[in-house]
Amino acid sequence: MNAVAHKLCMLGDFGVGKTSLVARFVHSTFSEKYLTTVGVKVDSKEVALPGRAPMKLVVWDIAGRSQLDSLNMTYLRGASALLLVADGTRERSLHAALNLLMQSRTLLPDATIALAVNKLDLVEQWEVAPAALAELRRSLPVHETSARSGAGVEAAFADIATRLAQ
Amino acid sequence: MTSPSFPSVPSRVSTYLCELFWQRVRALLLTFDAGWRLRDIRGDAIYYGVDGSNPGQSVQMLRDLFIGLSIDEPQDLPFVELPNGTSAHLHLIPDRDAFHVLLLDAAAERDRQRATQQLGNEQALASQAKSKAIGQLKQIRTELERQHAKLEEAHALKNALIATLSHEFRTPLTSIFGYLQLADRRAHGDASLHEALHAVRRNATYLFTLAENLLEYGRSDGAAPLLNPTPVDLDALAADLDAMFRPLAEEKGLDFRVSLTIDDVEQPVFDEIRLRQILVNLLSNAVRYTRHGEIAAEIVWRGGELSAVVSDTGIGIAAAHRDTVFMPFNRGGHAGRKGAGLGLSIVRRMVDQMRGTLAFESEVGRGSAFRVTLPCGRERAAAHADDAIAPRFWLQGRSILVADDDTDIAHLLEALLGDLGFRVRVVGDAQSAVVEAIAGRPDVLLIDVELSGLSGNAAVYKLRSRGYKGRIVTLSATATSEAREAALRAGADHYLTKPLNVEQFVHVMQQAASAGWNGGGDGSVGA
Repeated sequence: MNAVAHKLCMLGDFGVGKTSLVARFVHSTFSEKYLTTVGVKVDSKEVALPGRAPMKLVVWDIAGRSQLDSLNMTYLRGASALLLVADGTRERSLHAALNLLMQSRTLLPDATIALAVNKLDLVEQWEVAPAALAELRRSLPVHETSARSGAGVEAAFADIATRLAQ
Repeated sequence: MTSPSFPSVPSRVSTYLCELFWQRVRALLLTFDAGWRLRDIRGDAIYYGVDGSNPGQSVQMLRDLFIGLSIDEPQDLPFVELPNGTSAHLHLIPDRDAFHVLLLDAAAERDRQRATQQLGNEQALASQAKSKAIGQLKQIRTELERQHAKLEEAHALKNALIATLSHEFRTPLTSIFGYLQLADRRAHGDASLHEALHAVRRNATYLFTLAENLLEYGRSDGAAPLLNPTPVDLDALAADLDAMFRPLAEEKGLDFRVSLTIDDVEQPVFDEIRLRQILVNLLSNAVRYTRHGEIAAEIVWRGGELSAVVSDTGIGIAAAHRDTVFMPFNRGGHAGRKGAGLGLSIVRRMVDQMRGTLAFESEVGRGSAFRVTLPCGRERAAAHADDAIAPRFWLQGRSILVADDDTDIAHLLEALLGDLGFRVRVVGDAQSAVVEAIAGRPDVLLIDVELSGLSGNAAVYKLRSRGYKGRIVTLSATATSEAREAALRAGADHYLTKPLNVEQFVHVMQQAASAGWNGGGDGSVGA
């Protein structure tokens, strides 16, 4: 039996590590080299859910933007989940992620949403204060992640998959 | 939808154009029925990673790309990077009870765009990093200015304190020495009283030397000292030394001699307190470590230079200890003997401060001779005080969670904290620390920064970002202000460095345990 497939879009400013998170999640790899994404890159991975049928997450790694343009809107259509990504070392990328969330709400009002604050391995350089995330946790699930070390990555995707299955 | 009108061209040209376009865009056309069953495939399938002979997997991949989208409406997805790395513009074209998926090559265009975009993004990132660095530099400058002002204030306070302490020590000791001498003269024939007075004198001398040495040691090594050169009465100095040490030497049955030669008409100018302390320390050591024979101090003022040789026939210093004899708290040369081990290190420091030279010759069992030469001068410099040592408090019944992956350090911390009265629980990694801290709510979390895997700072951040209000102390081998700032920014309340300064450690633990969970809120947190 084929696993139920869900489209999950990665959204965030450029350079926050969306592609690296997908590479870590899907292929368990990480590259130090920054290579910007043009358009969209699609990958998929089957996720095992305790007590449920496995789920296939089709992950759309969309080119980094701080604002949604018409092209991004095209890519978002049909998505049932959004993983917003910010870079903990750049506070403005968190603002961009929240801005993207608000813009995408009009197109995807019922999408399952989570926020990944990436680059936990560089926590010593983080501009995002712990209190800011504590506040955000009141309104949406937040995960501190590191694509480099893998910390929190599985948990972020598993969280979305679990909520999609409910 | 109206079809675009094309100019009327000969059919051969039209065919040519069609072939050219098909070739240039490397088109791949797949036709499906409404249930995504492949009916036809035309074009360069291999280029897009589509296996024409076994298209099942590729069909599934294409199907995934249109999840949530209607196949009854045209769809246009530009720049889609396919699993084989190539980039395509994807079009879905409905056609009655079927539909077509058309892939057009976008790799070259994608590469061009990527080059431009990469450059722009990298420049933006570099610009942000530059702005951040400039901001940090400004902060550092402000902090340096603040620290500088604080240091100047501390320096002034320290100088005042040392001056006061020196005076406060010397005044009563001067009185003690004076009255001892007076009492000694009046104790005619009373042998036991003489003996008692000599014991008092010996210990008062030791106390005086120790107090002076500790005051000197309290000054920092890092900064240049403030010298206070004044004209020195060498005759009076020699007489004082004789009065101070002759009784002690004679009490041990030693010959004692202080000689002074003055061959220079100019009055010697030195920091008298330091000069006196150099000679007192050398003579004090000589008396302490000589059982038989003699002790001599020869002071010569000649050619603008003062030289002093303090020699003894004492136990001597072994060759193995020659290199460490001037190190503080080192008593290797006189193992098993009493004393703080500061005297010679302070002599070394003071001679250096006064730009003099210090040398010694020694033979085990035959004695030692220390030679000091000091140029006359008026040198000035500065010094600063060490931090005050905090008092010790006991912390009976408080709970603490220790996270350290070094077993030896973890055991040491467990023992230290247990001695302080803490109930200690130890974990070996950061993730366990996060889980246990949330579940157990210890009074204090003590966590190593350099943990393998998730770092201590990351764990602290995770706790704080979940609203954790308990006190957190981080421990690190990195003793830099940047590392400290980073730990505090992550949410730590205190930052300690290795190796541990036990007094400071106790003080911080007391502070942290006293603060407890008073950071506000009810302290409830989510995992």
